[in-house]
Order: sequence, then structure tokens, then C-alpha cells
Amino acid sequence: MLYAQNREVVIPGQLIAEGSHSVYGGAFKEGNRVYSSVIGLMSVRGQDISVIPLGGRYMPRRGDVVIGVVMDSHHSGWILDLNSPYVGNLFVSDLEGRKVDLDKEDISQFLSMGDVVMAEIRDVDERMRVLLDAYGPGMGKIRGGKMVEISSAKVPRVIGKKGSMATVLQSTSGCKIKVGQNGRIMIWGDDQRMVNAVVEALLMIEREAHTSGLTDRVKQFLEKMKSEGK
Amino acid sequence: MMGKPEKLIVDGKRLDGRGPDELRPLKIEAGVLKRADGSAYVEMGKNKVLAAVYGPRELHPRHLQQPDTAILRCRYNMAPFSVDDRKRPGPDRRSVEISKVIREAFEPVVFTKLYPRSGIDVFIEILQADAGTRTAGINAAAVALADAGVPMRDLVSSVAVGKVDDTIVLDLTKDEDNYGTTDMPIAMLPRKKVITLLQMDGHFTPEEFERAIEMAMKGCEQIYEAQKQALKAKYETKPEEG
Amino acid sequence: MYELVSTVKRDYIVDLARQDKRADARALDQYREVSVETGLIENAQGSALVKMGNTQVLAGVKIQRGEPFPDTPNSGVLMVNAELRPIASPTFELGPPDENSIELARVVDRGIRESETIDLDKLSITPGEEVWMVYIDLHALDYDGNLIDAASLAAVAALWNVKKPHVEGWTLEEFPVVKKPVAVTIAKIDGKLMVDPSLDEQNVMDARLTITTIEDDSICAMQKGGIGYLTVEEIKAACELARIKAAELRKHLG
Repeated sequence: MLYAQNREVVIPGQLIAEGSHSVYGGAFKEGNRVYSSVIGLMSVRGQDISVIPLGGRYMPRRGDVVIGVVMDSHHSGWILDLNSPYVGNLFVSDLEGRKVDLDKEDISQFLSMGDVVMAEIRDVDERMRVLLDAYGPGMGKIRGGKMVEISSAKVPRVIGKKGSMATVLQSTSGCKIKVGQNGRIMIWGDDQRMVNAVVEALLMIEREAHTSGLTDRVKQFLEKMKSEGK
Repeated sequence: MMGKPEKLIVDGKRLDGRGPDELRPLKIEAGVLKRADGSAYVEMGKNKVLAAVYGPRELHPRHLQQPDTAILRCRYNMAPFSVDDRKRPGPDRRSVEISKVIREAFEPVVFTKLYPRSGIDVFIEILQADAGTRTAGINAAAVALADAGVPMRDLVSSVAVGKVDDTIVLDLTKDEDNYGTTDMPIAMLPRKKVITLLQMDGHFTPEEFERAIEMAMKGCEQIYEAQKQALKAKYETKPEEG
Repeated sequence: MYELVSTVKRDYIVDLARQDKRADARALDQYREVSVETGLIENAQGSALVKMGNTQVLAGVKIQRGEPFPDTPNSGVLMVNAELRPIASPTFELGPPDENSIELARVVDRGIRESETIDLDKLSITPGEEVWMVYIDLHALDYDGNLIDAASLAAVAALWNVKKPHVEGWTLEEFPVVKKPVAVTIAKIDGKLMVDPSLDEQNVMDARLTITTIEDDSICAMQKGGIGYLTVEEIKAACELARIKAAELRKHLG
């Protein structure tokens, strides 16, 4: 028995279902009844119920690609701010992809305070200690570009089904973007106007993530900005 | 400040025209601040209250961190200009006690175990006071926590009841609080109808207490409706036309 | 108030400054959207909420009886206090006022006091014994850069909101506020001067200069802040810029 429709906005403590459902994120069960724990979109797939949060801080997960900022260092690596309650640990060998002889090499040549790094989360333990890898293709220190921070809950919308939204953003604007699951997005472009347009589009996605027809609206907006610039 | 009026209830109507079980005008808005992770603005009668939530976030100093849970912290503060006689800035004993009981009102609902070693900070600022500020603060904080995406078992709704001219009344004004005999703020979890904050000073017979708490809980239900509306309203805006 | 700024953000802002541009597409001499709302706090004798972009400051004026200072026995007393509480920013901490809230309060105070915005001599009740105290309390609600300008504007708007204060024993006609000082803060980034720095610009700037002027363009207060330096030319250019922008901001005071 469902008490809320698919994609309906629900609030913490709201009764959303009753019966033999499997409950995933954003919801909890008391006896036979299912309640939402966050403000989010009701999501029903067969017997599976979850609530997709419309907000909330980023929680690191294994396999996520994130954009971190160096906030501290120690003799064998760095601590990265991930815009999360939890920081990321990056050891120099996981940045360079090789064993580094700490007696011979000074790690400060690789990264400085405030540097921006694209990394993959290799592991998260039960104490939320996060280990990062930053040596794969597309990983490592980020140079240039504009960084935007949005709510990490809205990142799936920025990427879109099978990358559809990200494709629209890039091809229509002519800019290049890199998206971190932790809500940080890098934008590179020769045309400053279009870079700002992409920022506007990202903020639009963040505001309207819960609505439909968003990909088309974003495309229209960017096309309008492009034609106005000519 | 006027002296005590002869009667606080005349012909079943209170000084501001309300019946004994009527709430003051209530306004709630979610997501009013940019820096905070979640926020809410509440007006209950002349009370004007702002609540902000930061977190879950890294907890400093580190020795306060708990290995398996988030620490919930709450600070209630009155702006110097919020009251008749200017209040000197800084925490006083009353604010410290109120901060504690408000935190304890939320402890049963927040899923703190999902965020080991972190902190969830709730800040309540009273911008204008007219009795019932802690209840307004709780109503705002509940919306701010939800707005921040902090997982909870339920919202928390709060109101005060009291006794003036031997009549049990809901949602006291400052005059009713000053000149009445009893003040009892409560906070309730709307779903299970359990109480997470209860304070009382004054005089109730056991029978009066039962009536009072029933009236308070009905008041909380009305407030809960307004809290729900405020949260959903943020997502009911029509998308902008391209 | 330390905030970690990524190198990417810093480089981005500096690169734009070199082209006379800003991250939010403003002109160098352009303020963010400003709004002033007065009279929202009934328990205060005067109040104003100023929004400057996302920065929000609420000012409340309380007027009470008190003792005069011994060296000015026949004058009312002005006190300005600022609260930078953690509600407004993750970088604000609980505790006694830190150097930033003290500097903010004193800069706002200077603008009002030095310009003689309040005719304090009119605020004596019993000379040498009792005078009217004017408390201005600045409460930051949301911090996105440039608290000084927002707080100053809120303080002056709150003073002009007082009119005839509802306090027992008030004998004067109107509250004696006579001037409209306006603070304009200019940040220097890579040699370029820009008004109303946003939070990101503040975290990246070399230095800032706040200049408070009154209606006749005379300067009544100045404050340099930040760890960098300013040349004399830059200061003169800033003064000229402040004069123009103050006139624009003053329109919000009615």
C-alpha cells in the first residue's frame, strides 16, 4: 500500500507506504510501515522504495570521482577537503602511481595548499576514513577553469540519464566540464560569457532538479545565450 | 510597560481577541539563508526567529568526536534588540538552559548514527521576542534541519500552554506569561505524538495538567501542518521559462 | 575567519581582474543588489535589514536611560556592537567578540560618530546624571562578503527609522539624527580596485579600503584592511569611487 506517488515531494517522518517493501536510502521502516527520513522525491520500483534526497551533505562512497582541495599535508601525503563532513586522504604514491622514496623526494613539489585535485575514492571504512587515488586518466591536479559548488544531491541531474545533461551542457556551450560526485564542477571555456552561462545553467539545474523537462530548458537557455553573444 | 490589566480574559476572549485554544498568527519560511546548509524563519505572533543548521560537518575540537555517531549541538541566542530592556550580548544562564532542552527535544529524532565523528550544529537567533521564543525556535529548527537534508524520524513541533484567570490558554503572549500563573512549553513528535520537551512553572491541578497537555498537542498538530507546507513550498515553484 | 580558497578559485578571480572583470559578471564599480527594509523589530526603537547580494545584516537601535561619560556630562552616549555569530557563516565561532566583530563595530561607530550623525548634545536628561543611551546592535545573519558596507547602511537606516521613540519619559520631539554617512568598501586585487567585494573576492584580495562619506562628500572615516598595501594613487582613486557610490547607496535611505 503506497501513501505517496512516485516523484512526489515527501518530508521527514511522512508515512509513505505499508506492507512488505524493501527500503533503501532516505527512508526507514517501523514494523510494516515505511517513512521518509529526508525531504526528497518518493521513488518506487516494484517492491523497492527509497526517497531521493533533495539536499544533504556529500557522503563519500567507494568508486565516486570527486574534486578535492588540499587543506593540509603530512610527510607522505595530503588531506583534501571534499565539501563533506569527511576529508579525503591522498598518499603521494597514490597521486604519482608509483612508490615514492620519501628520503629522496620532497612531496611539496607535487601539490600545495589550496590545489584542486580530481580523485577516485578507493575505499571508505566504517569510521569514514576515505582513501583517494589520483593517478588514473583524467585524475590528478586540476589547472585553470572555474569551479562551481552545488548540492551533491543534485549531481545526478547534472550528469543526466546516460550522461544526457552533461552532453547538452558541453556541446551547446562549447565549454568543457568535469563533474565531481561531491557537488564540485569544473568548467573550462574560451568564451567567458558561455562559461558564466554554464554556471547559470548549473544553478538552474540545482534549483529545478525535481522538475521534468529540465534538459530541454537548459538546452534552450544555453542556445539563447550563445545566439545573443553573436 | 503597562500595569497588570484587571482581567486577561473577557467574555471568553483574550486581550488580543483570541479564544483560549487559538494559536497566534503563524508564518514559516524554509531556506532563507545562503551560507547555512539549512535554515528557516518563523513568526509566532510577534516572535521573529531565525534558525540555521550547519552539518553534518567535521567536529572541532577533535576530542569531542564520537567514533560511531554525530554530536548534535544547539545554541539559542537572543539579539540585544529583541526585548524591551536591551539584552547584553553573550550567553546567560537562561540561554544555556534553553539550548540544552532544545537539543534534547531533537535528540530522539535525528539519525545521528549515520554520521560518525561529525557534528550537526543548530543555531537559533531570536530577533524579536514576545514569549514562547523557545517554542518558536524549535519550530524553526525542525524546518531548518529538514531543509539541510539531515535525516530524521519526524519533525518536532512546539507550543506553550498556560493558565490565566483560571483558564487554560494556548500560545501565551508576553503579558499572559507575565501576569498569568502558569507557563508550560512542550515539544511533540507529530507522528507518534510523544513529548520530547516539557517544562513547567506555576500551578496546575492534575486535571488542569491533562487538559493543558491535550490543548498543547492539538496546537502542535496545527503547527506541524504549517511546517510541512513551508518545506513543500520550496519545491512547488514553477520552473522558469527559458 | 580563515577560509581555504582553492588555487583554481584564486587564479580565476585574479585572471578576471586583469581583464577588468569579476566572477559574478559585475563591473568593477558595481554593487550587488541592495535592499533596505526598516521597522521590522517592534521591540527596537529603530531597525533595518540590509541585503547586499547574499550578505544580510540586521541592525537594531535601542534607546535607554543611562549615565553619561564623565568627560561629556551633558551628552547622550552612542554604543555600537557587532555580533558575528556562527548562524551567518561556518567561519564565525562562538565566544567573546573577535577582532573582526570589534573592527566592524568600531568602523561603523566611527562613521556615525565622526560625522555627528546623532546630535548627542540634545540627548541629556539630567545634566551630569542621566542621559539617553543609543545602542546600535549589528547582527550578521548571512555572510557573503562586505559586512562593513551592509552593516553601516543598516545602522544608519535604523537610526533614521527611529523617528519618535516609544520610550518612557521621552521629552524631545523627533530623535535627533541629522546626517546620512555611507561606507563604501573597495578591494584591491592584482592592482585593480573593485567595490563591494564578494566573499570570494575578499578571501583573495590584497587589501581593502573603506571610506565613509556624508552628503557634502566630505570624508568622516576610513579604514584599511587586509594584509597587502595600497599606493597613494590607489587611495585617491578609491576616494573618488567611494564618493560616487556613496551617493547611489544613500538613495536607499530615503
